[in-house]
Amino acid sequence: MRFIARFCKEKCDCFEIVSIYEEHIEKEEISKESPRIKTLAKKEPSAIWFERKMQDDFGIIIEDAFDKRPLVHQERFPKEIHPLRKEFQESSLQEAPYLQYKYEEIDGDGVFQVAVGPIHAGIIEPGHFQFSQAGEEMLHLEVRHFYKNRGIEKMLEGKTLQDAKPIIERISGNESIAYQICYRDIYLQATKQKLPLALQKRHALLLELERVIHHLTDIGFIPNDAGFGAALSFASKLSEDARRKMNELTGHRFGFGAVSFENSFIDTVSFHEWLDELEKSVEFFEDWIIDIPSLWDRFDTTGILPLKKAVKYASVGVVARASGVATDRRINPFYLEHGFVMASEVSGDVAGRFKVRLQELKNSILMMRNFLEEDDTKLEVTDICDGEYQSFCESSIGELFMAIDIKDGVIERFFVRDPSFMNWQAVHIMMRNDIIADFPLINKSCDLSYAGNDL
Amino acid sequence: MIKFWNKRVKLGVITEKPELEESLKKIRKEIKESVKKKFAGSLAIRMVDSGSCNACEAECNALSNPYFDLERLGIYFVASPRHADVMLLSGVMTFNMTPHVKEAYAQIPAPKWIISIGDCPMMQAPFEKNYAINAPVTEHLEVTHHIAGCPPNPVEIMEGILEFLRKI
Repeated sequence: MRFIARFCKEKCDCFEIVSIYEEHIEKEEISKESPRIKTLAKKEPSAIWFERKMQDDFGIIIEDAFDKRPLVHQERFPKEIHPLRKEFQESSLQEAPYLQYKYEEIDGDGVFQVAVGPIHAGIIEPGHFQFSQAGEEMLHLEVRHFYKNRGIEKMLEGKTLQDAKPIIERISGNESIAYQICYRDIYLQATKQKLPLALQKRHALLLELERVIHHLTDIGFIPNDAGFGAALSFASKLSEDARRKMNELTGHRFGFGAVSFENSFIDTVSFHEWLDELEKSVEFFEDWIIDIPSLWDRFDTTGILPLKKAVKYASVGVVARASGVATDRRINPFYLEHGFVMASEVSGDVAGRFKVRLQELKNSILMMRNFLEEDDTKLEVTDICDGEYQSFCESSIGELFMAIDIKDGVIERFFVRDPSFMNWQAVHIMMRNDIIADFPLINKSCDLSYAGNDL
Repeated sequence: MIKFWNKRVKLGVITEKPELEESLKKIRKEIKESVKKKFAGSLAIRMVDSGSCNACEAECNALSNPYFDLERLGIYFVASPRHADVMLLSGVMTFNMTPHVKEAYAQIPAPKWIISIGDCPMMQAPFEKNYAINAPVTEHLEVTHHIAGCPPNPVEIMEGILEFLRKI
């Protein structure tokens, strides 16, 4: 019974707290006058961020929570403002006096704090990491995000599904296709239509291409963070080629606006040629990189997320599969028929995550061959019905969950849980036996999104 | 490693791929000369993300790949604003990032410039102004040059940097 998400909806006369599990959904209604709930974090540790987010966004009081600090609202955010409530309609905020955020810190003789972020020393998104250090060893890490909070959930309220699309595809640039597929599924549920197989295949092709781009970038950057720059040069060439393929197929290098209900022409011959070439390059890369012992010295046993903890924290995606958890939204007849094999490792360390990426890369190339076909199917979409819809998709990071409520033809509540939101909460576990110099390597091996997490 | 060097020798230099237009060659030459003249051979850029979707960052990372290889023109992405000449700013200036962006800018030694990148900082992306967004960035900081696009591709970014170099 894997925990997936927990979020709040504002109804006319009450708040509804929805908890999503793999096999069932729990709903709880609480009054608006005294919105109080009991915490779920004692059983499901990763519920804590969902609850702290609810507390900031809606002013829900988590009675027995052991952590009542704000999550989304930072030091200068005005107090007593809950922006996701329907009554809140301001379009700008005044900065409030600075109120210090109390980090989780370990005290003791010689123990010191290292604050990293929000702006990091590379071309990377902003987020804060607070380390408690005993010399080089990391005793504890607190991950603090939501610097990039753009208020997406509120922004989409009151929009039609069509108007919401350009925003949804730009929530997280690296996972744009996955977001669009989640959106597509909700759109089809709302119009009560079925997707023709040809369209499904084309969208799956794009999703795998996006995964290939993401993994190619990572298999370069992970060795680069261990000081092996040649891998980055090699892999970034391949990922640039893949990005140009995406541009050729969709007219956009990131595939914004690519998932539509009409298939356009693609040049399958040149695509097959490119796939053959890519497969050879990946084989060469694997053969080469596996032979570099100094690199695997850094990878092996670094940043271990044990299976038990991966399950406890309900991790998803590459991180979970590298720790031996069998979770993948692509385990379904459609994908299995097209050659899907779930990648899996048991070591749970940086090496495990690196190998999972290599396996997935090869599997995605195989599947893309099967998905590729010339086709011009078009689906005429019908009118949208009101209702509550949910969908899932396996993005390049992990399981993406989206829920949209439609009322009177417009979005009443938009909620999305990026895979990063779960995995960020497990990152501190990986730091227990390592030194601070390993942190960039561990962080990159997970390659989580900040934009999708912060919304 | 011998495998790698074999491959490396066979592959040769891919940076000047014939399929990339002649214009790119020209841009590179012009940038190189301009950087040499105006920044004594090295232009240091500090990339700051104030709430983008990560696509602009991915494209800036792509500038370092073997096809574009920006560093050989004397343009570097540096780790600290204190080493920078120029701040390259992406994203919608979220409420939470605004103080940090201002602080980073304050730490760049003068003379300093800001180049904004992508449609977000100018509020031209599909995102709408709301409580969490402080864009357009021009209300908070002085922007010398803007590189439009959602996201601008690496060639457009290079062109943008060239235009900026012409401006100053």
